Amino acid sequence: MLREDTGNDLLLRVEGLKTYFFQRNAVLKAVDGVSFSVAQGEAVGLVGESGSGKTMTCLSLMRLVPQPGARIVEGEIWFKGDNLLDLTEHEMRAYRGHRMAIVMQDPQTSLNPVYTVGEQVAEPVRLHLKERGQQAIARVLDSLRAVRIPRPELRLGQYPHQFSGGMRQRVVAAMGLTTQPELLIADEPTTSLDVTIQAQFLRLIRDLQQDSGTSVIWVTHDLGIVAQMCDRVNVMYAGRIVESGRVRQIYKEPQHPYTRALLDSVPLMGARREKLYQIEGQPPDLRSIPQGCPFWPRCPEAMDKCKEQYPPRTSLGGEDFVHCWLTEEGR
Amino acid sequence: MANQLLEVEGLAKHFRGGGNWLSSGGDSIRAVDGVSFSVEEGETFALVGESGCGKTTVAKMILLLEQPTRGTISFQGKDVSSFRGSGLREYKRLVQAVFQDPYSSLNPRMQVMDIIGEPLRVHQGLRGRDLRMRVGELLENVGLNPVTAAFFPHQFSGGQRQRIAIARALALRPRLIVLDEPVSGLDVSIRAQILNLLVDLQRDLGLSYLLISHDLAIVEHMSHRVGVMYVGKMVELATRDEFYGNTLHPYSNALLASVPQPDPDVPMGTTIGGEVASPINPPSGCRFHTRCPIYLETNMCREVEPEWRGNLS
Repeated sequence: MLREDTGNDLLLRVEGLKTYFFQRNAVLKAVDGVSFSVAQGEAVGLVGESGSGKTMTCLSLMRLVPQPGARIVEGEIWFKGDNLLDLTEHEMRAYRGHRMAIVMQDPQTSLNPVYTVGEQVAEPVRLHLKERGQQAIARVLDSLRAVRIPRPELRLGQYPHQFSGGMRQRVVAAMGLTTQPELLIADEPTTSLDVTIQAQFLRLIRDLQQDSGTSVIWVTHDLGIVAQMCDRVNVMYAGRIVESGRVRQIYKEPQHPYTRALLDSVPLMGARREKLYQIEGQPPDLRSIPQGCPFWPRCPEAMDKCKEQYPPRTSLGGEDFVHCWLTEEGR
Repeated sequence: MANQLLEVEGLAKHFRGGGNWLSSGGDSIRAVDGVSFSVEEGETFALVGESGCGKTTVAKMILLLEQPTRGTISFQGKDVSSFRGSGLREYKRLVQAVFQDPYSSLNPRMQVMDIIGEPLRVHQGLRGRDLRMRVGELLENVGLNPVTAAFFPHQFSGGQRQRIAIARALALRPRLIVLDEPVSGLDVSIRAQILNLLVDLQRDLGLSYLLISHDLAIVEHMSHRVGVMYVGKMVELATRDEFYGNTLHPYSNALLASVPQPDPDVPMGTTIGGEVASPINPPSGCRFHTRCPIYLETNMCREVEPEWRGNLS
């Protein structure tokens, strides 16, 4: 198997990932050359609107892209020293739910209604940690306690419908975290939750992350969550990362016109804007992404060059970069 | 003071349920339990609160989709429940709604022409060329090309569909539009388009909005006054500046503190524990006492329901 020296604090490195959907008459480029990395203990955000490819990127990392239809056509996913795309399906199972876990948007559909919560949280314990009986139960109870579910001994024997939405999402988080994964992928885990419950959940994940040193990928369109939870952020548009940087840097000095527009288009509490900045048009159809920079039809600063050629990666120091002709030319 | 357009007084809605299969439990789900507020001409009044607080039920009663158990709704000084015949039709013309999900609020089998044209045909008897002209005008008002009148809903994106829903609401020149989470199903970049459109329409047409939302940043951007609901009760009502400058109710504080700010230098506030109480047998006394961070141990909060005090300012 291929091995590569990735430095000791890098957990995940994605290189040129491409995941396409093959339809009868079209190829839908959901992920079109995505590269980013996640350091150990780091929280990295993937932000973008629907169709920007953030969820498909995550499913590709888990090698769970919808079959048939979608395929990872190119790229490398280095998890420490292993390229996940070189592993057999059997070897991959040792990663999924063990070394990397995913918490999805809808806790209603990620739990099986006919098994008790205890049985479901115990599944990764049995499969990956090979623990049984009292030992497994003790671990499940610990997990439920860690996500602060009250009276876990009682809740263990209950079914998902007996839990509220917020509590169900905690159960899903407990399932993901029992095996103490090195990477947790949180795919819009709070969209269906009320604000106070969302705040509780965010705090919980942050505490767990600090205690266990787990790396987290936050997939969201909520710029508030990114600002509060992430160290770095990757802004996605039409299947590519258009800007990547440290959160403080990006919120202070966004380089890409799309990042800037996103930040200006959300109402900010306390800062009364007369009018919200409005990005004209809509995200592109992934079957026919415009030539050049995919954002040009909506970009207020588009030049002729933008319509012809995709801008190269311009380094902004450290690992920060942007793909925009404006910064590239302005250097 | 501006003119009152809509006034809601002691409004309540109790649903049957909460029992088991042997007993219905009676009217024991108290979804809305005595709510009073008013919407003035040209203003946006926002109702905020978490799921189950009753804000949508209030909207449904105003839209006559639910019958109040108690209380009155008055429109331009007249009791809505007394409306019959033409008076009732007039009320339904003047009060319109835009709902959260533009995918389910538009009939997929109808052309845009018919979706927007239906109220015009029914209420104003418009036909033929007049109808087409008016629909075209409405489409232009919401920033769509009049040519799209021949299209079906599936040919539009979510943001465009919401524009169609707004055009339909505007068709009969209403005075009040109930906006029930009008942008929560839309992408960030599209949200700004719709919010700006709503603000422009209000300014140009002098509309009143009853905005129902859980997004406190959007509420601050859009509204003039804010009412906070918790388990069927209004717990605080204030002007926007009072509410965002100096909230009084601990629940309002908790709501504001729970919003993750899109600024890495503003840390998250202290949130509250627990979950929204159930409207089936709601907590005694103050309904928020089970989650309140400054709960008084003197039993007062648990036993005595705090009185609604108007005009604190």
